[in-house]
Amino acid sequence: MTYLIEEKNDYLVVYLEGEVDLSCSPEARRVILDCLQKQRHLLVDLSRVSYIDSSGVASLVEGYQVSRSKNLNFALVGVSDNALNVLKLARLDQVFPIYTSIEALLQGGS
Amino acid sequence: MNTRKFIERIGEKTIDAIEEVGYHFSLLVESFYWLLVGPFVKQPVRLRNIFSEMMKIGVLAIPVVILLSFSNGVMMAIQGIVTLQEFDAESQVVPGIAYSVTREFGVLITAIVVAGRSGSAIAARIGSMQMSQEIDALRVMGIEPVRHLVAPIIFSMLVMMPILTIMADSAALIGGGLYTGIVLKLSLGTFIDRCFDVLVVYDVMQGLYKSLIFGVLIALVACSNGFSVSGGAEGLGKATTRSVVISIAMIVMADMIFTYFLSR
Amino acid sequence: MVVESESTKDESVIDVQDLVTYYGTRKILDQVNLKVRSGEIMVIMGGSGSGKSTLLRHMLALNQPAAGAIRLFGKDPSKLSAPQLHAIRQRMGVSFQNGALFNSLNVEENVAFPLREHTRLDENTIRIMARMKLEVVNLAGFEKLMPSQLSGGMVKRAALARAIVMDPSLLFFDEPSAGLDPVVSADLDELILRLRDAMKVTIVVVTHELDSAFRIADRILVLDKGKVLILGTVDEVKSSDNKRVQNLLNRKSEDVIVNPDEYLQRLTDDLAGL
Repeated sequence: MTYLIEEKNDYLVVYLEGEVDLSCSPEARRVILDCLQKQRHLLVDLSRVSYIDSSGVASLVEGYQVSRSKNLNFALVGVSDNALNVLKLARLDQVFPIYTSIEALLQGGS
Repeated sequence: MNTRKFIERIGEKTIDAIEEVGYHFSLLVESFYWLLVGPFVKQPVRLRNIFSEMMKIGVLAIPVVILLSFSNGVMMAIQGIVTLQEFDAESQVVPGIAYSVTREFGVLITAIVVAGRSGSAIAARIGSMQMSQEIDALRVMGIEPVRHLVAPIIFSMLVMMPILTIMADSAALIGGGLYTGIVLKLSLGTFIDRCFDVLVVYDVMQGLYKSLIFGVLIALVACSNGFSVSGGAEGLGKATTRSVVISIAMIVMADMIFTYFLSR
Repeated sequence: MVVESESTKDESVIDVQDLVTYYGTRKILDQVNLKVRSGEIMVIMGGSGSGKSTLLRHMLALNQPAAGAIRLFGKDPSKLSAPQLHAIRQRMGVSFQNGALFNSLNVEENVAFPLREHTRLDENTIRIMARMKLEVVNLAGFEKLMPSQLSGGMVKRAALARAIVMDPSLLFFDEPSAGLDPVVSADLDELILRLRDAMKVTIVVVTHELDSAFRIADRILVLDKGKVLILGTVDEVKSSDNKRVQNLLNRKSEDVIVNPDEYLQRLTDDLAGL
């Protein structure tokens, strides 16, 4: 897994890329929590994630909860069908704010 | 026909017994392997498991060990004084108690209590895990049952048995001392002083060495009986009983052999 | 883990070749062949004593074959070192017949157990994962209960949550519907199908329940006295004209045909004065 952080408007955008599995989800978790530590709204872009397992999803869950406790925005974009299936299995698709693209989010649509 | 079957049975039993000893030995070797090598191959023996075993094997056995050892000390004082009176040598009861408690009875009583209490509990616990397929579940999760279950027990035995033995020794000496004090008008302080006069470190160590051996014996017998449970609740009861009987028998026989060699 | 590159040269996740196994001198499995393909639900059926549980134990690498071979993910478990075997086993999840939950741990600790043993994930991550899996099996809110406080159906679902906590690519069920009422059992079947679709996991189910088998199976293997009676899709099995298969489907017990001489010998063996 690799990652890239970019600023867009009020948001920090974290682009995750590759496989987010047991071996690298701790890194993903750290990156997400670090961004939130800076008191910044956060977008996690999953469009280049080929595979995400439950430990990766758990890191997203923790990030989302932390962002809410800090009154920050948190959203997922570019969720692939594969990742959406994993989220749906635990009904997390009903929990996360999910947007098709960054533009869609910034324009206020979904 | 019948004699042939009889001889066959003797043969079978012998093979079973040898197999069992071999199995005990392999459990022991494997346990030490995981204790020593486990941490380096990312399969450490968990401290959490070790502590919980120490609690169950050692700490919870303390009251019974102390009670029985104290009574044993009193008993030896009674018998010793009665016997020695015939030779007008009542005062020699002190070294008598001191030697036999530290070398022999402290550790023996500890081992019997632990075998009856913890050994049966271990056999029952592992046996019920075997019956409910929890052992299989561990195995298919890639967790060695020996590492997860047996190694912590062996380790705890090696730590707790000497500690319990020292407690048993002290309780028996105090018991013997109190009785002797009442009958021979000897203060407990004097009794203990005289005990330390006659005892050398080796006497106490003799008991402690044995406690290590007995602890390992109890653990191996209990675990192997637990793992070999089959045939439902009846089988579980049998395995539990068997583990207590066999470990106590092995303790007494091992004690005899060790005493012979250590006392020469 | 559902990685495409895993299925490189061979499509089959499990490959059983000419498996023979004995219990004492009794033959339990006789020349069993079976390939389980990636992503399918394979149901192994048979009456009691058919050898289906033994076959499962072989596929879990708990038993060693007397003859023949088993390959899991293309590797023979009997030829692997302990760490290699552990690595393979971490890709497998098993839901045992009676759950095999650890009685000394509560539901959440049971589900989190493999993660605590095998990973160095943060404690928060581990607990979230365990609770996510409990959500998947509809056991949310029961985290703190001990296994002894659960009903039969709940035990099975907790065991399933534990089996999938490491996101396995191969999942085994031993008699998932045994001891459950038909509604709960149908729920569990539904869950099995949902898991396959969402996690792309290969599933092997051992059962004697026909209804359940027909609901979930892609292919069915029917064992009878240690031999493969038939291996095929649900329709193939249903339309088979093999008499024994039909007997099994119609739940008819077999007429036992005896050899008169042997039978007489069995009845009078070892008696005094004969």
